[in-house]
Amino acid sequence: MTTENADTDDWVRRLSSSGPERDDAIAELTQLLVRGLSRSMANRYGNLVQPEDVVQDALLKILDSLETFAGRSRFTTWAMTIATRVAISEMRRKRYQDVSLDSITSDDNLSLDIATDPSTPGETQIDRANVLSTLQELIQTELSAKQREAIQALLGGLPVEEIARRTGSNRNAVYKLIHDARVRLKSGLERAGVIAEDFNAIFA
Amino acid sequence: MSISKKQISNLLGLIASTENDATDCEGCFSHLAEFAELELAGREIPEAFQAIQRHLEQCPCCKDEFDVLIEGLKALPPEDE
Repeated sequence: MTTENADTDDWVRRLSSSGPERDDAIAELTQLLVRGLSRSMANRYGNLVQPEDVVQDALLKILDSLETFAGRSRFTTWAMTIATRVAISEMRRKRYQDVSLDSITSDDNLSLDIATDPSTPGETQIDRANVLSTLQELIQTELSAKQREAIQALLGGLPVEEIARRTGSNRNAVYKLIHDARVRLKSGLERAGVIAEDFNAIFA
Repeated sequence: MSISKKQISNLLGLIASTENDATDCEGCFSHLAEFAELELAGREIPEAFQAIQRHLEQCPCCKDEFDVLIEGLKALPPEDE
């Protein structure tokens, strides 16, 4: 048995035990998770989420899922993966709590007009207008109402997880809904002669 | 709904990067710990993990979580190999 495996087995054994040994393991894991999240969350999202607050929820999930840990990674990596998801979920919930889906998707006719920039060459402006007009038409004709709503929500800045929360769906279902919409839009643009490689050049 | 140039650019970026995705967010999550260890070790991504990589390239939600995870793991004390 490698040191790595022994360490992983030791975590699982201690967390599955009872009494002071389990308490010590929980305290040690809490310290590790707070340390990891303090750096990763603060670097990206400031003080929106306090690691100490979310680690308790994360620990409950970790302990509940202990039997599903398959040992394919270090135990601490697995635990950190769960804690990170819990922390980001909470961050997203807080960040977007005042954003309603209706305020983003109430307009049934999504308009893709963007302001003209005088410094943009005329030819590029024409290309942009053509791409936007084609894209807008594809959104109206190729996508289902649910896909249009999801694309609008995405354009409005809502992450997939928050769209799922607001629509009573789940993350996988919303991801698939949007992915299928992206496939249709990409295919439609290509049929219209607009290839993906042109996007960056036209909208740089 | 008015759209900014950045929003359009983001949408077109998402459309441009769309490829077949054989996994989903939960499928990705179930292998994320192993994938993160490969990334941190600088190892080549084996064929079995290509689907995870493709999903991360196409799902901004999962990519955010992965990037934060990597930062968090870097903050943990090194373990014996």
